[in-house]
Parts: sequence; structure tokens; C-alpha cells
Amino acid sequence: MKGLFAVALGVLTAIGGFLDIGDLVTSSVVGSRFGLSLAWVVVVGVVGICLFAQMSGRVAAASGRATFEIIRERLGPRAGAANLIASFLINLMTLTAEVGGIALSLQLASSVAPGAWIPVAAFGVWLVIWRVKYDLMENVTGMLGLALVVFAVAVFLLHPDWSSLATQALTSPVPAGESAGTYWYYAVALFGSAMTPYEVFFFSSGAVEEKWTLKDLAQSRLNVLVGFPLGGLLTLALAACAALVLMPQNVEVTSLSQVLLPIAQAGGKLAVAFAIVGFVAATFGAALETGLSTGYTLAQFFGWSWGKFRRPTRAARFHLTIMIGLVIAMGVLATGVDPVQVTEYSVVFSAIALPLTYLPILIVANDPEYMGEHVNGRITNVVGMVYLVIILVAAIAAIPLMIATGAGA
Amino acid sequence: MILSDLLGVPVTDPAGAPLGRVADARFVLDGPLDGQLAAARLFGLLVSPHTGSSFLGYERRTMRAPYPIAVVLRWRHRGIFLLRWEDVERVDRDGVHARPGWTRYDATID
Repeated sequence: MKGLFAVALGVLTAIGGFLDIGDLVTSSVVGSRFGLSLAWVVVVGVVGICLFAQMSGRVAAASGRATFEIIRERLGPRAGAANLIASFLINLMTLTAEVGGIALSLQLASSVAPGAWIPVAAFGVWLVIWRVKYDLMENVTGMLGLALVVFAVAVFLLHPDWSSLATQALTSPVPAGESAGTYWYYAVALFGSAMTPYEVFFFSSGAVEEKWTLKDLAQSRLNVLVGFPLGGLLTLALAACAALVLMPQNVEVTSLSQVLLPIAQAGGKLAVAFAIVGFVAATFGAALETGLSTGYTLAQFFGWSWGKFRRPTRAARFHLTIMIGLVIAMGVLATGVDPVQVTEYSVVFSAIALPLTYLPILIVANDPEYMGEHVNGRITNVVGMVYLVIILVAAIAAIPLMIATGAGA
Repeated sequence: MILSDLLGVPVTDPAGAPLGRVADARFVLDGPLDGQLAAARLFGLLVSPHTGSSFLGYERRTMRAPYPIAVVLRWRHRGIFLLRWEDVERVDRDGVHARPGWTRYDATID
């Protein structure tokens, strides 16, 4: 019974923890502009993150090393440092977007301006990272994040024409009024929001935090292979809601409140309340993960002691890095920059940075010195190579597409 | 000297002809006991004729997958060899200079 409970808890938190501000914003923007014609990207992204998380979890369990320890060991100091700088900056950008997302979500619940919520959000994130135990933190945000299931319910309540939704999703047309350039720009953005590098820093470091051994791999594989696809379905539900309500009225999503409009129409106040709880949980959970990831990446690269399993005094530089990261995020947000825009850029830059962490993990997952008998199988390697190509193409195409389309304007 | 002083620097033979760049350094653990392990001793440098970038572990015979990555890296590091540290005459600002009578050893390890 206890085993069953652990399995259910793992899967449920994986679903609830799957979404973050990047998914909320990007899938709604995409849904309102392209309908479900980019649904295939969510599928590609979810399979990719399953593959990547599963590999990095296995590497962490087999070798006891998290992502940036591997990058430092395998790429050497110079290429490793270049990798660190890029990954660290993009993670910081994502952290900024998530903290801004918490503030926007709390604004929806309170009608107090987000500027006032930003310091509260950052302080809350710091306090939880400093004080709350790792598994409690993960389980609470993951479970509350499940409130976003309301978006899946809303799709049914909106009584859509299922066959036209399916046609959109399966034939993937470029809608009238959109260029091929913007279509592919948002394809990259949606891909970047599903396969975000911090998820992997966090996942592999979390495996070390929770002291996984090879015995725990079956559970982790189940969490990933069941939880992430179901989380991906929620992403599709968000896009479908936007496609059903916002697209026909030509509403372009530029704020988090617009993401709520379909929910309000479908289920009224109660549904909106659920969605806001889901927003707060999703953004807060992701802010914890990206906040910790700022510490993980830097500490693992420089060989400092790190981790929440140590008391903060025993991992002082790790915690100091996180605090500085949060202060920088607050500083950026204090300039009055729109968190939704920061989010839109952060998912594209995530796609750009992805090969930097993906390639070392793919290589080390094949290294018998680290992995013993748990090296990648043949099928994993074939899929892994296909994804290496996809990830490289998305990363290389991102900047030209961004310039050519004026960032999707 | 630290390892970063060696990685990527050019290597020349006694006549001054270029041999390649230092792609990696190989150590053996046969020194006096240092805590739990024997202290590491620099055994030699991996010199790669076409690049100073890392071989990412594919110099080991057991590292064969994923096949396309292994092929690309083996091609980039074609002609890589091991220059034993005792075959190094000196290291200066121009790089690493091999001693007369140096030997080109196979860089592969099992």
C-alpha cells in the first residue's frame, strides 16, 4: 500500500510540476494564434524531455554525479566554463520569468499590483529553499499544480467541435495571417518551453539530493514516462482553451489574465480560482527549481559542496549563489520589464542552450566507466541521436528566426 | 604549472615541425599514498594533429556509442598519439617541444 502511495505521489507530482510560466504563456500564445496546428511540437518536446530526464536521472543514479559535475569533468575547464556561463545566464532569465510569474499570479488573486508582489515572491522562494525539506517542497508544489487540470476540464465544458480540433492538430496548417517564419519561431519557442535545461539540472541534482540508487530507477522512469506525457496533455489543454475562445476573437495573449479568459467562460469563478491556485503553484514550484538550479550549476562546476540535504552552513556558497540569483531576478523585474515578455524570450533562449547540456549527458550515458552495465541501449541511442539533430536544428534556427520575425511579432 | 597551461597548446618535434596540439593529459596512479589513493603522476600528453579540443572519452576502446558521435570524434582526432612526459624536452611560450628520439605511442586505451 505504501509502495502504491509512493508511486502515485511520484507520478502526480511529476504531472503537477511539469508546467511552469514558460508553458502557461507559450502554449496560450500559440493556441490563440495558431490553434492546435503546433500540437505536434508539444509531442516532440514531451518525448524529448522524457528521454533527457530519464538519461540524466540514470547517469546521476549510476555515477552519483549531477549534470554540471559531468560537464566539468568531460568538457574540461574552457569549454565547460563557456557552457556554464551560457547555461547559468539562461537559467537566471528563467528564474526571473518564474518570480515575475508568481507576482502576476498573486496579482490575479488579489488585485494588488505585481510590483508589490515581486519582493514577497522572491522572499517566499528563498525561505522555502532555505528551510523546507526537499521532498516536502516538491510534493506540495506538485500536488497544488494539479489544479491546472481545470484547463483539461474546461476544454470539455467549452463543447468544442472535436473533429475540427483533431484536423487542426493532425494537418498542422499555417493559419491565414501568419507567416511560415512566425510558425517556425513559435515551434522553437514551444519546444524550448517543453525541454528547458533547468528541468534537467534540477532533475539530476534532485536524484543526488534524494540519494537515488540504481534500485530507484524504475520508480523514476515511471514518474517520467507517465507524469511528463500527462503534463504535456495539460499543455495541449491550455493551447486548446486559447484556440477555442481567444483565437476566434483575435485576442493576442500578452498577459497572464488572458490565459484565464477561457477558464472564466467555461467554468466561472470556481474554475478561475482553481486555475489561479494552479498558476501560483506552477510558477512557485518552477521558481524553486530554477532558484536551486542557479546554485546547482555554479557549485557543481566549481566543486563547492552543494545540496539541500546539507545544512545551509555546510553549503554556504551554494545558498549564497541562490540568494544572489534571486536578488538579480528582483532587480531585473524592478526595472518594470514585463514578465510575460521575459518568459517569451527565456523559452527561445532555452532552446538555444539545450545542446550544451544534452550532448555531454548523451555521451556520458554511453560511457561504461561511469555507467557500468547501465549504458544507453541501442534504441535509446537511436532516439537520442534523432533528438540531437532536432535540438541542434532548433538551436541554430532560433536566432535567425527571432531576427527575421521580430521575435514572433 | 597547471593543466590549463598545457591543454590546447601546440606541440613541435625537435626540428620545430608542428605535431599537433595537446588534447588531453594522461595520469597514472602510482605515486606515494595520498589519503586513500596513490598520488597521480603525469604519464604523457595526448597530441592531436588536427585539433586541440577534447576527445570526450572516445580514446577508450570501450566507448563506441552513439555511433555517429564516435565516428565524428575519431575523424577529428585522426592521427592522435601519446607523447610520454619523459619525451618532452621543455614547455615554453611557444608550446611543448619533444625531445630528440621521442616515440609516437598509440593513444587508445582499453
